[in-house]
Order: sequence, then C-alpha cells, then structure tokens
Amino acid sequence: MINTSSTLARVTNGRKNRSKRWKCVVSLLCLLAVAAFSITLTLGQSFTPPQDVINVLLGENVPGASFVVGQLRLPRAIISLLVGMSFGMAGVAFQVMLRNPLASPDIIGVSSGATAAAVFAIIVLHMDGSSVAFFSIAVGLLVALAVYGLSYRNGASGARLILVGIGVSAMIESFIVYLLSQAQAWDRQEAMRWLSGSVNSAQIHQALPLILSLLVFGGFLLSRSRDLEALRMGDDTAHALGVRVGMTRITVIVSAVGLIAVGVAITGPIAFVAFLSGPIAVRLVKNNGSLLIPSGLVGACLVMGGDYIGQFLLPSRYPVGVITGALGAPYLIYLIIRVNRKGGSL
Amino acid sequence: MTLKHQLVVDHLAAGYGEKTILNDINVAIKPGQITSIIGANACGKSTLLRTMSRLISPSNGQVLLDGKSIHSTPTRQLAQTLGLLPQSPIAPEGITVSDLVSRGRHPHHGFLSRWRKEDDEAIAKALETTKTTELLDREIDELSGGQRQRVWIAMALAQETNILLLDEPTTFLDVAHQIEVLDLLVDLNQTRGTTIVLVLHDLNLAARYSDQLIAIQQGQVCANGTPNEVVTEDMIHAVFGLQSQVITDPISGRPMVLPIGRHKKIKHT
Repeated sequence: MINTSSTLARVTNGRKNRSKRWKCVVSLLCLLAVAAFSITLTLGQSFTPPQDVINVLLGENVPGASFVVGQLRLPRAIISLLVGMSFGMAGVAFQVMLRNPLASPDIIGVSSGATAAAVFAIIVLHMDGSSVAFFSIAVGLLVALAVYGLSYRNGASGARLILVGIGVSAMIESFIVYLLSQAQAWDRQEAMRWLSGSVNSAQIHQALPLILSLLVFGGFLLSRSRDLEALRMGDDTAHALGVRVGMTRITVIVSAVGLIAVGVAITGPIAFVAFLSGPIAVRLVKNNGSLLIPSGLVGACLVMGGDYIGQFLLPSRYPVGVITGALGAPYLIYLIIRVNRKGGSL
Repeated sequence: MTLKHQLVVDHLAAGYGEKTILNDINVAIKPGQITSIIGANACGKSTLLRTMSRLISPSNGQVLLDGKSIHSTPTRQLAQTLGLLPQSPIAPEGITVSDLVSRGRHPHHGFLSRWRKEDDEAIAKALETTKTTELLDREIDELSGGQRQRVWIAMALAQETNILLLDEPTTFLDVAHQIEVLDLLVDLNQTRGTTIVLVLHDLNLAARYSDQLIAIQQGQVCANGTPNEVVTEDMIHAVFGLQSQVITDPISGRPMVLPIGRHKKIKHT
C-alpha cells in the first residue's frame, strides 16, 4: 500500500492553502475598498483633513467639512459601495450559474428590463422612491423568466439563453428610446442622466433599500454558494453531488435580479459592473473558493474608483457609468472573440 | 463498507419531452457486482442510466433504492449512497486535481458545516485508489485523457457512495487507458464492495469486465444475465443487427464477439 499519511498531509495542506489564498484576496479587496472609500471622503475638489472627516462621521459639526463630507461625499461613497456590491454579486451569480462570462445580467436583458421599467415608472407613471424599485424588480424578474422560458428546450442551455437575452435586451433598449422620444423635455433630461448610471444625486436615505436588498438577496445567494460552485461542473455532476439544480437556479435568478433591480432603481444601470466584476474576481481568487464575496468587493471598487475617475481625474466630469462602460466594452469584444474561438467558461 | 444497497428498476418508462425512449423496463442490479448496460446507438442505454441516477424523471414506473423511490428521496441524502459520473463532466477553468476531487464531498456537507478530518481522509483515499496522488497539484487542463478520467473517478470515489453509475467512462480513451479505467473499477468493486453500473460501447470489454449484462433494444430489455447467458450470436443479431461469431476469450474465458462483415474474410478453397 502507498503512504496514505503523506497523501493526507498534502490534501490537508492543499485545502488550507486554498482557503488562505481566498482569505488573502478578500482581505486585499477589503483594503482596496476601504482605501477608495476614504479617498472619496477626503479628497475631492478640495482636500479635507482625515481628522475633520472622522469628526464629521462621528456627528460633530465641522464648519465647511460638514456639508462637503456629510452631505456630498459620504452619501456618494456609501451608495457607490452598496450598488457596486449588489451588481458584482448578482453578475457573478449569473455567470457561474450559466457557466459563461457573457451570461451577465447587463448582457442578457435583465438590467435593461429593470431600466426600462424604471424609466417607464419615472416618465409615464410619475412614481418615485421605493415604488420605482418594486416596479423594476417585478419587470426585471419577468424579463429574466421570459428569457429563461424562451431559451428552454430540454433544459436551459447557456449559449441559447445568452443569444435570446441579447435579442430581448435589444428590444427593450428600443422601447427605452421610444419612451424617451415621448417624454417632456425636462423628464427626458432627468431620465438621460439617470440612464447613463450615476451616483451624482446619491442621498443617504437611499442606502436603506440597498442594505436590505444585500442582506436578503445577497444572503440568499451566499446560502447557495456551495451549490453554485458545484454547478460550475455541469448540471449533471451537480445533480449527482446532491444539488437541487432547478431549485438553486430559481433562488439564484430571483436573488440576483433583486440585487440588480434595486441597484438600477437607485443609480441607473452602471454599465458593465455586473459583467466585469466576476471575471476580475476569478482571476484573483482562481479556484480557491466562492466568488460571490470577492466579486461583490470588486464591484464596489469599480464603482467607487470609476466615480472618482469620472469626477476628478478627467478634463471634464463624467458619470460613473461612462467610465465603467469605457472599461467594459473592450473586454466584451475580447470575450466574444475568445468565446468564439474556444468556447467560454467561467 | 459491508452495507449493500439494492437498486431496482420497476416498470420504468422515460424519455425526453413527448418522446418515449424507455418502455416498461424491469431490472434488479445485483449488489456488490459490476453490471454493464449494452446496446446499439440511441437504444436508450444512456437514458436508462440517467433515469437510474434521477437526472431524468420517469414518465411511468419508478427506480427504487432499498425499496424507496429515488425521485422522492431528498437529493442530498441520495447522493450519499448513489454516485454518478456523467458522460461529459465540466472542469472549471484552471482547477487543480485536489480541488476537483474534494468537490466529491459536497453531499456530506450542509450549509455552514465545517470541513472535517474524514473529508480529507476520503479525498486522500480516493486519490490513492485511482493512483492520482502524483497529479494532486496539477491543473486538470494539462492532463491526458486517461489521467483526467481517473481524476473524475476519484471525485466520484471521494463521495463515498455504495453504488456508482458511470456513463461511458471509456469513450475517447485509447485501448490501454480503457483497460486501465476498467481495471480500476474492478479494484474498487473488490476492495470497497462498491456496486458498479456502467454504460459501455465495447461489447468484448463489457463481457470481460462485468458480472451482469443488460442488453437494451429499442427501449426494452432484450437480455439480462451473466455474460455467458447474454452474449450469444442470436442476441448480437437481435440487438445490433450484426452477423457474428461468438468464441471464448482465451484470456478471461468469457464470451467474445467476432463480427462478420462483408469483406476481409479468409477465402476457403
């Protein structure tokens, strides 16, 4: 017989190394997120000393700093963080579930469905606040189920679903354009600004729905993270390993759509954050553990970083969605070329 | 592992959508033995295996594990007794051998349960049984077909199920690797007492390596028994529509099929 104890030691070591690597990546991403958060708070048009920032956060009234930090920068940083996490987690959940990086909600029509719903709610129904969010969750879910249903034939195939999703997405985009053409001039401007995805008008009370959605939908996703990992080996293998594939799919779709729709209702669809976070997280984490949390953190860093770049580092000011869009588009092109050549997996 | 579980297929009908592929199948898998399902292309042998492993729901009848229908047993509980290696499993990009094999422990863990020592032990044992210890830190993508198949079997072994179903585990392998995989399954059957059910294309290998053969023809059981009972010239003609001569395999003493084609025959003068 071969030496079992040395194999055992190597297996144990390998597992410990994997979990060490995962913790290491997550800590680094946390640090990066904290850094981006602090920079957003301290360094804008003007520099606010960290001591003043801390005092403002503690609720003291600091002349000058209280308005800039408390009213402008803090809501912006918090909303960016929460929305980025929501998009990042939702995106990677879809990508892992369908085993394809192109299966992100902003490619297969879920985001545009939620966006169209929100535009409709704002322009036609004159809704605001949480009713917009509920409306866009409902429509986002409908679109997700429609795409899923339309691509279902002897089981859902990832590739078919993506193609159907791109088609549905194009239809919805044209509906959005139609809505805009019918809108009043003022509404249209408002809607356009929101459509490009921005945290310019972030307000602190908007954090509550985002936190709730992360707790509920994000919590659901995390409770399924092991099953999601098993799904990466194909539906058959996942089944054989005791995963309730259908049940997991439904939970993941509903939760991810919830995360996307709440985020979209508040900041608009920040382009490609859901699409980019997962693949970046995969390159950092490799196969060393669940991708949900790393991808959420990457999303948060993307939105905070993108917003900062758009505000201060370019000759004129851009909303965050323009920056992330510019980052995401080349990757999309690269991915389509690569997938075309060798078939995609995440 | 002395506990033997009983897998019985009872009046089973199944198919995809409207199309019925299997019709009134009745078979009992002998515990502790190796059973091969054979038959022509598209006869329903894979469908039978997939229904036995609850990947497909039957339209009629049932599959019973120890008297209980597998389609109404909680899937995680079932996955602790009944393992399956599908025909084309997918390896996540860049995954290492030890990581992949450790995923076989999935059914033994609930949400939030901690990793235990016995998990690592099961993985180490699976790696050694399949002789993949040396590959432990390699990535799946860089392995040869034979090595890869051994790693997938190791993953199924780490699951520690008493029954293991394999869907054409030797496809795409050259003959040496086919033998290697089949020898491994026999090892497993003998040392762990695992009941093994597999779909095999190669009749002669099926006859040599199995204790029980189930021949499927157009969705029905055509013959069921030991290789000596099942592999006859009449059966081969009925199932495959092939003229053949059955001789005794000089190595194993099992029946061996020699197909008679239209060409390349010795001219008797």
